[in-house]
Amino acid sequence: MTNLELYNNAFKEAFGVEEADLAGLEYQGIANWDSVGHMNLVSLLEDAFDIMMDTDDIIDFSSYEKGKEILAKYEKTI
Amino acid sequence: MLPNSNEIQYLCRGTADFELLPSLPKLTPFSQQACDFLAELSSEIMKNPESRQYPDVITFGFFCRKGNVSRLKEAYQGKIENRLGRGVSFHIAPSNVPINFAYSMVAAFLAGNACIVRASAKPFRQIDLVCECMNRVFAQDRFKSLHDYITVVRYPRSKEINDYFSSLSDVRVIWGGDATISEIRQSPLPPRSIEIAFADRYSIAVFDAKAMCAAENMTQIARDFYNDTYLYDQNACSSPRLIYWLGSEEEAQQASERFWTAIHESLQGKYTVEPVIAVDKYTAACRCAIDLGAEIKPWRDNLISRIRVSHLRADVIDYRCAGGSFFEYAATDLNALRDIITRKYQTISYFGEIKDKIAEFILSNGLSGVDRIVPIGKTADFTLVWDGYDLISQMSRIIDF
Repeated sequence: MTNLELYNNAFKEAFGVEEADLAGLEYQGIANWDSVGHMNLVSLLEDAFDIMMDTDDIIDFSSYEKGKEILAKYEKTI
Repeated sequence: MLPNSNEIQYLCRGTADFELLPSLPKLTPFSQQACDFLAELSSEIMKNPESRQYPDVITFGFFCRKGNVSRLKEAYQGKIENRLGRGVSFHIAPSNVPINFAYSMVAAFLAGNACIVRASAKPFRQIDLVCECMNRVFAQDRFKSLHDYITVVRYPRSKEINDYFSSLSDVRVIWGGDATISEIRQSPLPPRSIEIAFADRYSIAVFDAKAMCAAENMTQIARDFYNDTYLYDQNACSSPRLIYWLGSEEEAQQASERFWTAIHESLQGKYTVEPVIAVDKYTAACRCAIDLGAEIKPWRDNLISRIRVSHLRADVIDYRCAGGSFFEYAATDLNALRDIITRKYQTISYFGEIKDKIAEFILSNGLSGVDRIVPIGKTADFTLVWDGYDLISQMSRIIDF
């Protein structure tokens, strides 16, 4: 699987959304991406990419696009 | 021999014979097996659709995830290499915080101990949910051999059962209050054993009035405050009892109206006040009006009791009441806290850019209480240093060579 597929799958699993919904998705933009959903997303991403995210990055992870920038810090190019 | 064994309900049954627990090999702190188990437990909890209904369960699952446990382990590098768990740990979890049993267990397990955990006797679904997840993980072949290390039970008050589990313990962990600590201490520990007791403590919130007036996301603030207070019926040590508004009288007035309106909205349909609690809150408010000259803000219903005091008396905390009863005080500086803070005070939660100001105040005044300063919504976040104890170090022993 490509990094993009891994990344998208984490969102789809965490929030029950479709591929088409991903662009522009933001924290608290949909009911499922609340603080509880956020924790789910972060643990799925950490598992998928085998990384440990810093607390600041977990907090800054505010949208589908922003997340790509953050993962780049962990040498994961999406 | 285990007495009254029919009174014990097993939520997660590890060893079939408690007498064998003392001879189990002690684990090293952050052993690979323990870390792997927690990572698997985390996945099991996070993937369970029912967990979503319980933010405290999800938060626990998030705490146990591989990334977080690895980070915790890193912080202990150089301090744990020549250590082993003390042996058998016996935990008496508080009755009011459902998920606390799980953190207490994880801390002891990570330190290298076997755990007998007495969870709250109240039928909280969160407790069963976490235990069901644990049981599924232990059912996997690779974790079967670890199961002996973990047992979670419920039982009604029983000195005989406390005596028995205490007699096996190398470490006993009591999550207060003071009355529970006295009760459990009637059961002797073996001579070499240690005890960690978390006594009754109280907490405060300090909110910057201007920041509250300007805050954009009141829904989030209300949710955070709910998680600090109503989620535990305001009975957790870390639940604020007093809201200290930092600002002028006028700013505090405006900020508090905005704040409580948001809280009141968020409580609709989410929190119910038992009649007995409503009476307690009313009685407490009347006592405060008589003894402290407090102004009692009008109640819309029984959800929120606001007790506005114009000065903070040293014994104000003795007038506390749980279930949504709050003292309020406003000032432009923190000086009034000097008069009330004793070692019985644990956490200050804050809103606004005032963390450093609070920390500086505690340090420069040499206050005997307040161990933690955390943002609103984070009062119940568990860390391995709790109440001034480093739990990993306390619950393991050093092999000196």
